[in-house]
Amino acid sequence: MKKDVWHIGGHELTSRFFIGTGLFPSPYVQKEAIRESGAEVLTFAIRRINLASTEDDSILQHVEGESFQYLPNTSGASTAEEAVRIARLARASGLSDWIKVEISANERTLLPDPLETLKATEILVKEGFTVLPYTSDDPILCKRLEEAGAAAVMPGAAPIGTGLGILNPYNISLIVEEAKVPIIVDAGLGSVSDVAQAMELGVSGVLMNTPVAKAKDPVGMARAMRLAIEAGRLSYLSGRISKKRYASASSGHEQFIVK
Amino acid sequence: MGGGVVGLSCAFELQKRGHQVTVLEIGRCGGQASGAAAGMLAPYSENVEGPDDFFHLCKESLRLYPAWRNEVRRISGRAFEYTESGSLYIAYHEADRLALEGRRLWQNEHASSGIVLEGDALFRQEPMLSRDVKAALYTPEESHVYAPDYVLALEHACRLIGVQIFEQLGKVTVAEWRNDIVVASQDGQSFTGDRLVVCNGAWAQELEEAFDIRIPVYPIRGQICAYEAEVKPVQHMVFCNQGYLVAKENGTLVCGASEDVAGFDTSVTERGIERLRKWNKQAFPFLAEQEPFHRWAGLRPSTQDGFPLLGPLKQSAGRVVMAAGHYRNGILLSPVTAQVVADYIDGGGSPLSAFAPERFTH
Repeated sequence: MKKDVWHIGGHELTSRFFIGTGLFPSPYVQKEAIRESGAEVLTFAIRRINLASTEDDSILQHVEGESFQYLPNTSGASTAEEAVRIARLARASGLSDWIKVEISANERTLLPDPLETLKATEILVKEGFTVLPYTSDDPILCKRLEEAGAAAVMPGAAPIGTGLGILNPYNISLIVEEAKVPIIVDAGLGSVSDVAQAMELGVSGVLMNTPVAKAKDPVGMARAMRLAIEAGRLSYLSGRISKKRYASASSGHEQFIVK
Repeated sequence: MGGGVVGLSCAFELQKRGHQVTVLEIGRCGGQASGAAAGMLAPYSENVEGPDDFFHLCKESLRLYPAWRNEVRRISGRAFEYTESGSLYIAYHEADRLALEGRRLWQNEHASSGIVLEGDALFRQEPMLSRDVKAALYTPEESHVYAPDYVLALEHACRLIGVQIFEQLGKVTVAEWRNDIVVASQDGQSFTGDRLVVCNGAWAQELEEAFDIRIPVYPIRGQICAYEAEVKPVQHMVFCNQGYLVAKENGTLVCGASEDVAGFDTSVTERGIERLRKWNKQAFPFLAEQEPFHRWAGLRPSTQDGFPLLGPLKQSAGRVVMAAGHYRNGILLSPVTAQVVADYIDGGGSPLSAFAPERFTH
């Protein structure tokens, strides 16, 4: 069977799990959870990183020497201008030319500002970044981001850290239908059922941090999420049955009747 | 079991309430995380995400501290530094403002009078701070103690009120806990009691087999260094996302701390200290010229979910009480831990289920 791989900006990926490095109770648990997740892409806030010597950073030192693709994010930015500035800093430090655009203007909901996100995406694409914007789950907006040159588009399931799950599965499925770049559900997932649902809707991957890091057993949860992604993906590829209103026997007697 | 700050605090509180307490310590009292700690009493700077159960425990302990400090000082007859310096959580990026503001909003609802400072207002508070710092969350309520002296005072106070302390026991094992408490030490001594309070920090996991439960406590090494400072160059506890700096009365500037995954290895590494020095000088440029005169390390007990194991073992019918896994906040949490444990033993309270020691066992 052909390996189920996918690509972002020419980079081949096997895992469909992007994991955030924040909020873990300790570096030991963080390390074990990341390992158990099977993730190839790690994401973190650039503002939390010591860019002057990234190899000494309090978070990155614990994943040193392993071959992760870094996806730094611009969280904390409230305008396109700020996000662009942060992205340039990250690239200049040699971390990565992948950038997750994350622009929120409201400290309570942290919901993405769609206009500023589009603006920042246009600028960063022109500057040669591999841009993955985190955005609201609006199908038209997601299409616009793709047209602006985003390498993947990352609609939120729900506000960051809420664990509310996919608030609008209909929108997510429309976004997937229309997309020519990978769609990654980012933010708001809470449980394995949310994750499996996202994958069944046909997204290419999911990005999570809080539901793993804040679980009672983050290592166990990382594994559970990995399996949910696999199960959801396989279900999507295998094609679920259509829903029917009434029962139809699964033990079908007719074919057993001897004529 | 355990003569760190948590064990000594429980012993102190219980002995005061009329129990006869024996402390069993495999090395010397305060020899690990307790003695290595920088002594920050900083529930707000240590809990940046939101007001969860752990934050409330930390905040309650800060509230208890002044009275607790007075009691330890009065009974021990020893002074130890307790400085109400307030803290600054500094940020280098414009992008941190949103996070600082978000933190200020929820922390103001929980007894912090914190404000975000910028520019001149910030540099007036902390003149030597790097001008690259864009803003800081100033929390006046946070303070710090000089941990080695505090732990010594606690130990002294314990001895003065009749706590028996056995040190250098090498190894201790729980021989019996279902019907009676019997703890044996390597040299053949046997200790009995009505209750066993387990306060052995990073070593708690060793008891998994004895109690037949999962105890996911992992040692995380913290490396610290100190600079000599004649005139107090840093006025507040200064936190950033890489660590903290705090000036002590004795003319030292303490800078911590790494979080290393290194098992039970307590050695200090060149790279570990270098790493501290690199960001130190970003926060305070005058440190570029200075060499730390002292470097040390201790093992913090981290847990799988970041919360301590605090409360009775149900399967022991409350005979065994755990108070371990305080990770970065043992010094801060010592008064509240002593109170929770003593209240439980005196029949006056049940610790939060979020901290139940058996929560990891299915």
